[in-house]
Amino acid sequence: MLAETAAPAIDRRVAFDFRLLAIPSGFAVLGYVLRLFAYLQAGWQPSVWAYPDGLCRWDCQWYVILAKTGYDPFPVPGMLDAGNWAFFPLFPAIIGGLHALTAWPVMNIATAVSILFSIGAAMVAYPLLDKNLRAFTLYSAFLLCGPFSIYFTSFFTEVLFVLLTNCVLLALKRSNYLAAGFGAALLSATRIVGVFIVIAIGLQWLLDYRRRGGNWRGLLPELWQRPEIVLAILLSPLGCFAYMAYLYHYMGDALAFQHVQRAWGRVPGNPFEYLWIGLTDWPQSGFLPSTNQWLGLSAVVGLAVSAVLLFQRKYPIAIFCLICLVVPLSAGMASMLRFVVALSPVVLPVIALLARWRPVFVVTLVAFVAGDYFFTVGWLAEWLSLV
Amino acid sequence: MSSAVVFGRAWRLLVLLLILGVAGVELYVAWLAIHPNVSTNYRAFYIDQSTTCLDKPISGQYRLGQTVSFMPDNQAGARRLRVCGWDGPAGDGTHSVGTTSLLRFAVTEPTGDLTLAMLVTAISAPDRRDQHIVVTGNGVTLGEATIPDSTQQMLEFRVPESAIDRAHGRLDVTIAYPTATEMTPRDSDTHYRSIKLMSVQLRRPEDVPSQGPQDDPVALRHGHGPDGPNA
Repeated sequence: MLAETAAPAIDRRVAFDFRLLAIPSGFAVLGYVLRLFAYLQAGWQPSVWAYPDGLCRWDCQWYVILAKTGYDPFPVPGMLDAGNWAFFPLFPAIIGGLHALTAWPVMNIATAVSILFSIGAAMVAYPLLDKNLRAFTLYSAFLLCGPFSIYFTSFFTEVLFVLLTNCVLLALKRSNYLAAGFGAALLSATRIVGVFIVIAIGLQWLLDYRRRGGNWRGLLPELWQRPEIVLAILLSPLGCFAYMAYLYHYMGDALAFQHVQRAWGRVPGNPFEYLWIGLTDWPQSGFLPSTNQWLGLSAVVGLAVSAVLLFQRKYPIAIFCLICLVVPLSAGMASMLRFVVALSPVVLPVIALLARWRPVFVVTLVAFVAGDYFFTVGWLAEWLSLV
Repeated sequence: MSSAVVFGRAWRLLVLLLILGVAGVELYVAWLAIHPNVSTNYRAFYIDQSTTCLDKPISGQYRLGQTVSFMPDNQAGARRLRVCGWDGPAGDGTHSVGTTSLLRFAVTEPTGDLTLAMLVTAISAPDRRDQHIVVTGNGVTLGEATIPDSTQQMLEFRVPESAIDRAHGRLDVTIAYPTATEMTPRDSDTHYRSIKLMSVQLRRPEDVPSQGPQDDPVALRHGHGPDGPNA
């Protein structure tokens, strides 16, 4: 009798795990083929053999060089002012390491690893989506077969940023602060804004502490008795500090990644002034928004979702999102669309909302798949909003 | 004492030690961050931001009297002279970027006074302003010029022998742009524009004056110049 009741449960679990892998894997294959067709239609001298290299544009090309040859010395070869120190090391190091081990083409490795990381990011997000299979399906499609899949399936650091953000969010959901700290350490070596997840970790712990009945007077004794949170907070920026230490010993400037922004034309300023300039940059002709307006609109969407998170009292992730948006915005509008769609706490609630109603889910899914093809064509046709 | 208590204490001790270790490492790196160990030109450009022109080890290899094209046809020659503050070339010349540009000429033999000739076009500024430039050679003022918006001019400046750095055998020509223009709102000063350079020549009195990039033998070979294809 016991065996009879236990057996179906095991079967269900196995079947369920299979779906968690099968759904994103299916979208990975579909997306790969769709982008191949888009490339064959719109790529430069397209051929099947030149895929996926042919999808690599803009920052992707910087990442490829970084993975192959490492960081620029000073003076930069080619006598450019813009060294590649602005690009954080973790993802290029992973790809570069695999390239050194296997000697396979960098873009082939990067594409395979990005797709694997995207599948991983979707699986980690499943509990964050309250184990809603429809939302999980939509999120898998978004990452692997959606309009912005190029960021998550070629060679951009965003895919690792999404995976690690989801890991940290899951660790926080489970109140595992030390795991969150380790994830954050990796996140801070992935993109500069990753370091700000430390605020979410600290704030989440504080809210949990207060929820458990802790008061301000008992805070220091609590930290002394259970110092794991202090370690988690100190671990969080460790990836960034490791990169800084490397830069200092390599070229004498630990903050080269920040200082080089000047050569990239990124001027620190009022983020809301930049946003206004972007939103009011009307197109010279036609009715479609200008590139800056698209970038501005994506920032507005990101800020609006962050405001909703604040309203829902999800303060830790709301503040993280706001910082992740405002920091790049305070240096201009460049790449805002990419930054917004790679911000999991912004994307996940929108996905959950779209998956709530079956007809909306179906329409969105079809739009994502169609968007994968057309946005890849747009990417190859140099739609600057996507850069 | 139970093993759980012992393990708990050991774990807490390990965490405290890790806290000390990680905090120590991070403080050390923070100290490194505020004490960069970099060259003067790196500091000036990236950290102090006191210049938009990052001085780089360019040879300045040059034969006196030679016209060097800064059109897209002869960057091999131009790249030996352009140190910083240049972008491109675009189809109609090499853009100045920032508030100063630097050209370097290796001058190893005795010369006497020289003449620096530059064919330039003022950019089309959003406010149609004239472009004013101030030219110095190793710190010695060579002259100034004002070029009306979108206008092309051949500029010539006398270079006294005293301006040439004999110790290093070179002439560093700095072109300052007090009217350099922001092309888009909130643009970086490293992206300001002022002129487009089409050709340069540093000549002795007996050399033939340059007429522009078409006098560059490499430009002739490639058939590109400001006046269209050359025969």
